[in-house]
Amino acid sequence: MNKRILSEILARADAQEVKNLADEIKESYSPVIVKAPEKSLAMIRLREPVKESLFYLGETVICEAIVDLDGSKGMAVLMGDEFDKVLDMAVIDAACNKGVFCRYDVLEDMQRRQKLRIEKENAVFMQTMVNFQSMDSEAIS
Amino acid sequence: MAYVAVSGGEEAIEASIRLLEYYRSGTDKDLDLEVIKEKMGLLVDRVMSEAGLYSKAYAALALKQCEGSSDEAVFLLRAYRSTLKRDYETLVADTEHMRIVRRISAAFKDIPGGQILGATYDYTHRLMNFALEKEDAQGLRDRMEQMIIEQTPVQPEPCTRVSEELKKEGLIDSYEENNGQPFDITQNLLEFPASRSARLQTLSRADTGFLSGLAYSVLRGFGQVHPTVGELRSGYVQLEVPYLEEEGESLWIGEIMLTEVEVFNEADDKEQLKLACGYGAVMGRNENKAIAMAVLDHELDTEGNYPAQNEEFVLLHGDSLEMNGFISHLKLPHYVTFQSKLDAVRKTRRKEHD
Repeated sequence: MNKRILSEILARADAQEVKNLADEIKESYSPVIVKAPEKSLAMIRLREPVKESLFYLGETVICEAIVDLDGSKGMAVLMGDEFDKVLDMAVIDAACNKGVFCRYDVLEDMQRRQKLRIEKENAVFMQTMVNFQSMDSEAIS
Repeated sequence: MAYVAVSGGEEAIEASIRLLEYYRSGTDKDLDLEVIKEKMGLLVDRVMSEAGLYSKAYAALALKQCEGSSDEAVFLLRAYRSTLKRDYETLVADTEHMRIVRRISAAFKDIPGGQILGATYDYTHRLMNFALEKEDAQGLRDRMEQMIIEQTPVQPEPCTRVSEELKKEGLIDSYEENNGQPFDITQNLLEFPASRSARLQTLSRADTGFLSGLAYSVLRGFGQVHPTVGELRSGYVQLEVPYLEEEGESLWIGEIMLTEVEVFNEADDKEQLKLACGYGAVMGRNENKAIAMAVLDHELDTEGNYPAQNEEFVLLHGDSLEMNGFISHLKLPHYVTFQSKLDAVRKTRRKEHD
């Protein structure tokens, strides 16, 4: 599981679910906080489609934490200011890096539930798709 | 009258600040931040956009603190933002693959991916709903939750931009990807002529009313065109930052709601063989601001004497914090300068009497 997928599952998850996973790791290991959770900013970069150039939309508040788990580092960055959650995410990341994380089944279940929720929400929006009735067809090209 | 430097008023000022709380004390009910965030979403979006800071929770707090004044809330968020360091720049966020919640085109009825109305006030009758005076909030939430649960899942599909199709036909100019470092107006003083990135950043966080008024002036004749909204889309855009522990990996940090607009105009070249485009993108759901931004983006590419074509006029007068700060300063004591003006008038009157 790459870092992007791991972080998305954890970021979308409820803080308690993430805590449960981190607590399991803490039963066997004692993570050391390298960088305590703190707030900072991330500047959002977009590409505009007219000239295909980059520009800054604005910033967002993020929090970040880094931990060390018996010589393996783990880090997490999250939009918002959920300090406990970002620290738990860093612990899980460190366990993955150390190769001792063994609850991928839980992550996959979380991912399945998150995907289902998004797809059900999407279904509601797709019901507002317009079905035009007209005498002749008009396509873009 | 002699000029007199004055000091004092500290106690009155302190009492005045304390009195602000009086205006928030008219009820014993608290205004829960979650309520502001979830039920005043469009106001929260506007404040975030004009502050240039995406944080629904902090925008809600700012609005609570200042009795719902959008310009004061923008001031609070900008001031808070200035206390934080910036540790990251996101990877280029992919708006083309946003999870769409609304997408329309006024240019074509048949667009690949379809027109999705989403949630819009456009077709409502604008009749006051007095049933909301005593709304069953829990019932509303349960009803909406049940609606979601009952759905058959539909996987979100990204929609190609309408302009892509026109680019393929050569009706719109195509450009290579330009990965040049954008100008950052929060770090550097705006210079003229402004780069495209500076222009877009400035417009995106400009005051909604200012942009709307200027775009309106363009449509009424103080500008070149009546543009066509080629595409308006709102949706969730995913944000990632580099994973510092391993090269090539990234971290998903969250998603933001964004509204993006492309407008099409007749090109102003003599042959008029192509269409010209304008682009707007704003935080949250703020369609009129995004459309106004796209109108002005194109208008600034044209030459003329209208206000909306004057880059310095447009880019220097739309910042909520700056405009309200400057207007607000007129309330501060100007005793000395006013006495000077008064003296001048009195002298003139005396000369006329003599």
